[in-house]
Amino acid sequence: MTCTRRLFLGGLATLAAPAVHAQSSVAVRFALTPVFLDNDAAVISSLQAALAEGMGRSIELVQRRTYQEITGALLDGSVDAAWTCGYPYLQHRSDLSLLGVPVWNGRPLYQSYLIASADDPASDLGDLRGGTHAFSDPDSNSGFLVTASDLATLGESPETFFSRTIFTFGHRNVVRAVAGGLTRSGSVDGYVWEVLSAVEPDLTVQTRIVARSEWLGFPPFVARSDRKDDPVVADCSSALLGLADTVAGRSALGLLFLDGVTPADPLLFDGIAARMAILGARP
Amino acid sequence: MTASWFRNLPVTLRVPLVTATLMIVLGLVASQGVLTALRHVQDARLVETARLHLDGLSVALGPFVLRQDVWEVYDILERAQTASDGQRLLQTVVADERGQVLAASDPKRAPVGSGISTYETGAVAPKDVTMTGDPTLRVMAPLRYQGREVGRIVTELDVTDLLAERRRVSLWLLFGNAAATAVLTFAGWLAVARILRPVATLVRAMDATEGVPRPIAEADIPRGDPGLARLIATYNRMTTAVEARAEAERRLAERERFVSLGRLSSSLAHEINNPLGGLLNAADTIVTYADRPEVVRESGSLMLRGLTHMRDVARAILDQNRLDRSAQHLRSVDFEDLRLLFEPEVASRQQHLRWEIGAGDATLAKLPSAQVRQVTLNLLLNASEAAGTGGQVGLTVSNGADELSIIVEDSGPGLGPDHLARLLSSGPLPPGGGVGLRLAHDIVVGLDGQISHSRTALATVIRVDLPVSGDGHV
Repeated sequence: MTCTRRLFLGGLATLAAPAVHAQSSVAVRFALTPVFLDNDAAVISSLQAALAEGMGRSIELVQRRTYQEITGALLDGSVDAAWTCGYPYLQHRSDLSLLGVPVWNGRPLYQSYLIASADDPASDLGDLRGGTHAFSDPDSNSGFLVTASDLATLGESPETFFSRTIFTFGHRNVVRAVAGGLTRSGSVDGYVWEVLSAVEPDLTVQTRIVARSEWLGFPPFVARSDRKDDPVVADCSSALLGLADTVAGRSALGLLFLDGVTPADPLLFDGIAARMAILGARP
Repeated sequence: MTASWFRNLPVTLRVPLVTATLMIVLGLVASQGVLTALRHVQDARLVETARLHLDGLSVALGPFVLRQDVWEVYDILERAQTASDGQRLLQTVVADERGQVLAASDPKRAPVGSGISTYETGAVAPKDVTMTGDPTLRVMAPLRYQGREVGRIVTELDVTDLLAERRRVSLWLLFGNAAATAVLTFAGWLAVARILRPVATLVRAMDATEGVPRPIAEADIPRGDPGLARLIATYNRMTTAVEARAEAERRLAERERFVSLGRLSSSLAHEINNPLGGLLNAADTIVTYADRPEVVRESGSLMLRGLTHMRDVARAILDQNRLDRSAQHLRSVDFEDLRLLFEPEVASRQQHLRWEIGAGDATLAKLPSAQVRQVTLNLLLNASEAAGTGGQVGLTVSNGADELSIIVEDSGPGLGPDHLARLLSSGPLPPGGGVGLRLAHDIVVGLDGQISHSRTALATVIRVDLPVSGDGHV
């Protein structure tokens, strides 16, 4: 997932970092992804403060536009940990380890939504044939893989099924594109759509959910496997898992509409792996 | 017709009206100037807005249009639209170099992939944008990036506020000019009325007392305005001259009575002289035959008749000259007096006189004695003179229901143009000649009567019709 106001938030992160009192000389570089509700500066500040408190270290939040950039930064060591999507995690499963998975509505699971404008008569994916479609990111599970794998099941590809597809590099942007009429339909993170419907109902009311996917593993926090025992990474993992135990952590989680962070089992992402297999088996 | 209507208005109204008209014309010209200037200012604002908007968008959109990045183009357009929310930008459409819409700020109106030509209808370059009266204006510009044209951009500008501003300014100008014109017209009317007050006084003085001009008092002459002061002084001199003329005419008319008697003096002298011879003879007879009673009685009787006649003639002359007779009503006796005075004149010319008085005293009494006698005597004297020796002269007096007719006829050759002018018109008197006929004319006009003249084969007929009112003219 991406950041619709990455420049603004990048600047905000840079400005916010020195404000955190460093309890350790080594700062943690943490990458944020578009699963995050990146349109809310308060959420960013709150999460940053909660993690810094939990780790006892200063923290630098790093913003990137695409999952590819986040993954690249993680793999080349530019960042210590990241909140990414299950799809890129699985793509680099051998190099990445799970630090934890957010819990939403009591479960570490979410859905992908296929949305169209509120007055669109489509009742399933097949009705959207020939229209324009907005994806979030080519490495996003809910924002691309689910719809692409569903089309593969139908023997179609996005390029052949839709008249035109665009990537907005942000789940909120997908909702904007559909609500504004730029595209007829879009693939969006169900968690983001639901939270948006609570905080920006004027935006989501212009869209309707055409189809929901099965429940899939929530976008996880990951780090490079070979650095899993690094104190910095370990502290980061502890801080994430203990967010629900601190006031600052609960505040940040509250802003994110999450219950907490739970230790993750790779098996949680089997559903995504199955869809990857479908896409990979595509003729 | 309009011009005559305007000319009939008082000058105190005409001058403010002319001022108001000029003010309105001036107001229209000035308003047109203001509106033209406003249009230029608004056009300049529009050109600047369009240029800034399109230039800014061109810089931001260039790389994304080149890459056909629909989302980024839309994102930029939407943010630009949000930034100008409630302002001038209605819709911006961006197309690639093939003319296909990449994105629009309102994609529902301009869907991705549709042709941009629909939106280019009526669109002009930013430098050419101008107010047309349409609330929405379209501006079009090529999108250049890295030295080449990568697409096109069309923006719809909302100029409703500018149109409203023009309407507002127009209304203010209209009301402002109307109010200013009304105020200045009223002030002009006041000023002109004040300036022309002496003229109004002059007009009132001229109209006063039934056309008899009245001089303006010294106190009312505006000494500060030499022109008007001269005008009023001249007017006052004229009123004096008119008074003098009226006085002269009055005296002339007075004299005319003596003149007409003067014209009779010769025959009247005969009228007195002739009986005198008889009286002397009778007296001599009485002296000679004092002892013969029948002769004395006859001579005495003869003397009595002669003296009676002389007394009647003398009374008629006195009556004609009596100054206090102006208040007396006309009676049939007045015509008998006239006959007594006129017959010697007829006799001296061996003329035949026809005398018919058919009007009753009731009618005659409604007219003044002196004026009617004067008119009749003047006309008779004129007729007798015209008829010549052995001619015929006639007088017929008759009355209708509401008028008295006096017809004087003579067998003369008719009145010449000069005489007719004296008798029938009020114009200036031709040089020479008497004033008898003109005096008759003036008296008849004064009695609201009419004089007519006609000529038959044998006679000249002059007819005077005098209206008979209930209480008479005396």
